[in-house]
Amino acid sequence: MLLPRFEYHEPSTLEEALHLMSELGGNARVLAGGTDLLVRMKLKIDKPTHVISLARVPGMDEIIPRNGHAVSIGSAVTAATLAGHELMRDRFAPLALAASRLGAPMIRNLATIGGNLVNARPAADLPPPCMVLNAELKLKSAAGERQVSVNEFFLGPGETVIEPHELLLSVHVETPPPWSGGSYIKLGARKTLEISMVNVATLLTLESPDGPIVDVRIALGAVAPTPVRAYGAEQLLIGEQPSEELFQRAGEVGVGLCSPITDHRGTMEYRCMMIEVLTKRALRSALEQARSWKP
Amino acid sequence: MTQFQVLNTRAPRLDAPAKATGQAKYADDLAMPGMLWGAILHSPYAHAKILHIDTSKALKLPGVKAVVTAKEAGLVKYGVSPARYDETLFAYEKVRYVGDEIAAVAAVDQATAQEAVDLIKVDYEELPAVFDMFEAMKEGAPQIHDEFPGNLNAEVHQEFGDVDAAMAGADLVISHTFLNKRQDAAFIEPHACMAVFDSDGRLTVHSSTQVPHYAQRTIAMVLQMPIGKVRVVKPYVGGGFGPKAEATPLEMSAALLSRLSGKPVKMTYTREEVFLHSRARHQFYAEMSLGVKKDGTMLGLKNKAVLDGGAYTSFGIATVYYSGSLLGGPYKLQGMKYDGYRVYTNKPACGAQRGHGGVVHRAAFEQLLDMTAEKLGMDPIEMRLKNIMKRGDTTVNELDMSSLGMEECIQAVREASKWDEKKGRLPKGKGIGAACGFFVSGAGYPIYRSDTYHSTVVIKVSEDGGIATVLTGSAEIGQGSDTMVAMFAAETLGITLDNVRVVSGDTDLSVDLGAYSSRQTLMTGHATKEAAEQVREQIAQVLAEDLGCEASSITFRDGIVLFDGGPGNFEKIRTMYIKEHRGWTDPPHGEYLTFREAARLAYLKKGTLVGTGKYKPPKLGGSYKGAAVGTSPAYGCSAQVAEVSVDMETGEVTVDRMYDAHDCGLAVNRTQVEGQMQGSLSMGLGETLFEEVKFDSRGRILNASLGEYRIPTALDMPNVDTVIVESNEPKGPYGAKEVGEGAIMPTIPAILNAIYDATGIRVNELPSSSERLYMKLKSKE
Amino acid sequence: MKSLIQLTVNGRLVEAAVEPNRTLLQFLREDLELTGSKHGCGLGDCGACTVILDGKPVNSCLVLAVQANGREVLTIEGLAENGKLHPIQQAFVDKGAIQCGFCSPGMILSAKALLDANPRPTEQEIRLAISGNLCRCTGYQKIVEAIGEAAKTIQGMEVS
Repeated sequence: MLLPRFEYHEPSTLEEALHLMSELGGNARVLAGGTDLLVRMKLKIDKPTHVISLARVPGMDEIIPRNGHAVSIGSAVTAATLAGHELMRDRFAPLALAASRLGAPMIRNLATIGGNLVNARPAADLPPPCMVLNAELKLKSAAGERQVSVNEFFLGPGETVIEPHELLLSVHVETPPPWSGGSYIKLGARKTLEISMVNVATLLTLESPDGPIVDVRIALGAVAPTPVRAYGAEQLLIGEQPSEELFQRAGEVGVGLCSPITDHRGTMEYRCMMIEVLTKRALRSALEQARSWKP
Repeated sequence: MTQFQVLNTRAPRLDAPAKATGQAKYADDLAMPGMLWGAILHSPYAHAKILHIDTSKALKLPGVKAVVTAKEAGLVKYGVSPARYDETLFAYEKVRYVGDEIAAVAAVDQATAQEAVDLIKVDYEELPAVFDMFEAMKEGAPQIHDEFPGNLNAEVHQEFGDVDAAMAGADLVISHTFLNKRQDAAFIEPHACMAVFDSDGRLTVHSSTQVPHYAQRTIAMVLQMPIGKVRVVKPYVGGGFGPKAEATPLEMSAALLSRLSGKPVKMTYTREEVFLHSRARHQFYAEMSLGVKKDGTMLGLKNKAVLDGGAYTSFGIATVYYSGSLLGGPYKLQGMKYDGYRVYTNKPACGAQRGHGGVVHRAAFEQLLDMTAEKLGMDPIEMRLKNIMKRGDTTVNELDMSSLGMEECIQAVREASKWDEKKGRLPKGKGIGAACGFFVSGAGYPIYRSDTYHSTVVIKVSEDGGIATVLTGSAEIGQGSDTMVAMFAAETLGITLDNVRVVSGDTDLSVDLGAYSSRQTLMTGHATKEAAEQVREQIAQVLAEDLGCEASSITFRDGIVLFDGGPGNFEKIRTMYIKEHRGWTDPPHGEYLTFREAARLAYLKKGTLVGTGKYKPPKLGGSYKGAAVGTSPAYGCSAQVAEVSVDMETGEVTVDRMYDAHDCGLAVNRTQVEGQMQGSLSMGLGETLFEEVKFDSRGRILNASLGEYRIPTALDMPNVDTVIVESNEPKGPYGAKEVGEGAIMPTIPAILNAIYDATGIRVNELPSSSERLYMKLKSKE
Repeated sequence: MKSLIQLTVNGRLVEAAVEPNRTLLQFLREDLELTGSKHGCGLGDCGACTVILDGKPVNSCLVLAVQANGREVLTIEGLAENGKLHPIQQAFVDKGAIQCGFCSPGMILSAKALLDANPRPTEQEIRLAISGNLCRCTGYQKIVEAIGEAAKTIQGMEVS
């Protein structure tokens, strides 16, 4: 399959990249991993006349812990790196798990967290875990910088608040408090190489190992035009002692917050019922992780 | 079985090193100086009249060397069965499916060719289209081919024995329906070819094909060229599985463009075009009734099939016959009635895919057997054992079981899987299921009416060095036929495998009908054996004359020659040989005369040492209409057990383990037989759980990619315990018969029967996706 | 407009001028005539185009040739040394892991990347490592066995 013609730019500094983006605006696409962009270009869905590669821009692919309380993830960090990173797996499990389920091994070696967020496919793997981690996204342009919560980032399929001249620079997540645990579950047909039919990420924090839930976050993907936070379900759980019935009810509430479609991967009805099942399971798994939290 | 020197071993494949190092050249790896790239214009409409085609802009694009439509191609009709030649290379009055070929372009590079295709302007008048086979049969449905009213492409009505009497005598009659979806063979290598004319006007088409012979004939016919001027060469092929068993518009377009442009033309299908071309497994609707006695004896079977054939016939005539004929075995029946209908729809044409018309009806039947066993309170394996045929039996539709290791296969998987311990004792959500299957070892008749030999083989032994080169038109497509041929040659000649070379897949070498209907081991094998015997006899004759002994006292084994089983007295031959090779550092030595010395002598006495072999099945089958399809010199059979885990909350099915026993007569190469079994099972698993080609309301394929048409990955496919059963088929070379397609037959029903065991749900519509199973589980609550 | 790229392919330094819209797969197959990497789908769905880029297996149909500038590429042609098969290739041959062979280069390279990072993988780890390489012929079993066998051979070689 052939790629259409385009002009290629390989800026060697961030400033250069941002300058190019403000000049070229909507005619340009950023190339990080390319596993989404190049596919879309081959299918003639995207036809940018300019492609700006981040390959030589330094510092975009680093995971930088910030004084023990937070981590900065460069937007060019690959899914493979996230999946295998010790700190990610230990403290930011939903994100590491989701990264390990994205595509297949070779895709993971190229696909980036920045690309996965900015491309904003409703079924994308990384948005829900970023949402339950309340990630802050650093957007930069030639004109300045701004920070946006990931929970306010997505507008629709393929649409985010990012402007054509802006670059997603990094993703900041705060280390969850003690007695926190998270999970990520993805439902597809095969056991790999899948685009989710439904996916769920959760982060749950207990007061103490046997204590009630003090905080919980649930995010669902592939069941609405954007990934959604199930705030209603979360409200139900906060302050309560965790239990099967509680998680079941949370799942039911979660269904009501979604608007899945019927497409050739699955019907709306099935997706709704799976939201219930997966939410419950994700909460169960997060609870287990929370109870076995270690400093 | 250790009576063989070469056969029945685990010899590594001849072509494995080339494939492991990336040296093996497939069609898209070929290039020639001055080569052009071709591209095809496909119809965007499922059914439309072509009012006008304007190629002027395309022709003007710099770099375009030729543009062809029906005008340049002519209107020679072709297809697979001469009784149904219903396609032309390019559509000329109307298009009949999204993908139908309208024109082709050759240009200096791929991008220009594609750009030119986009510049061809076609004026269409859209016609109402029909996509459902039942809708297509109704009064008032859009007519796809004028010659076939009611869109009925083929109709089969057969009755064997007295079915009504059989049913009347039954204590129980159980009925059942079953539906699958269109499949795609999903070989990893898309079709590709390169066509080139030499200065004598001789055409060579290098193509990723299973059937150089059939491709040669069709290309010659459609291009209106003398067949002696057309050569088809098959390079390495990345899988065929059926859809590559017929000539393609890709090959014919490339040839036509090459003729017009005077340059070699390379053409490949994108993965999407592979889906549009299809010629893969039909959608089948099955309706069956089985009458049994209360002790489980099967009496009568009524079987109906409705096939969605797509826009053209392709292999479809054979398909619709196979859906009936292949249920004649492996169980005894007193009566069998079959009504089959193949229907045209405005979708890509369906053809033959691994197991052909037998797969879906076998699945339906094996599921029906389980249902019957349950009603009778019998163990499903016991019920099968009660009814199976044995060697020497004849099916109700007159197919002869000259060997049939059905019982051994069933017992083998029963034991291996510990069936008796597990059946009925597994917790909810876990299940075990069994099924059997049955398939031909090569179709009894060629696709075109002819007295031709099905396989011919030439073996030439080198004038020096004792190397046997086997020349065969047979097609190595990954199934291992080159290695099979080499092993038969080596065994028969009595030499070691490393002294055999195989040159294959070229119509210049010999006639061979190719790799389809699981024929090459039996048929090409026979021809190879005969050719090798001829060579051996010639050498023995020369030795006998030279040494003054009886030719019948001479045997060949492991590269040496035995006289009355001993070394004999061959001094003068060795002396002659060494004298002829003065200066060489590797003279023959040892107690025994070597094959290379004997072959050298034979050359000196007789000249070129060549043997030819040929094979044609004896007249087979009954005298009824359609008897030709389903007849075969021999039949393979197999039994499988599958174990599954079902996630009762989501409907997801995981196949944990599979057990497969296959009767292949004699395993020519044990490793390869196992590989064919495991590969068949993976296709069967995919068809059961994931695979279906989906269309939108306008006849466009929704999932024309390997991302959305899901074949099993390494994480989806479990390990298979394989058992090789060898029933020693008398009609097969050294007892060998097929494994390549028969192995897929039990897979779908074994898994479905296991799902029933786990959940109590009878899934009779494929694929058993998590959603489908989940909805059935919910509605049962 | 063409860019000048310089990269190491199978240990050899290569220089070329390429259009930006050329994929690494096209560059390897057409410009360098290294046809061992295959085109199965073009969209990263099948893995037939796998090459090892800076030590990591990637779908070369989704990498631009210009992106490989300054980097190291290993293709199937770079595995055998002086005509001697790499232990993984030998194991594939010995174990019957190759049928049509179209997925084999990709499989072998994914296996190499696995064994370089994890010399003693479990069966599940092997299956995970090749989960992006589709095979329609073998059902994967003999491929998994071959990789396990190769791991032992390589370990044995390292010990001695």
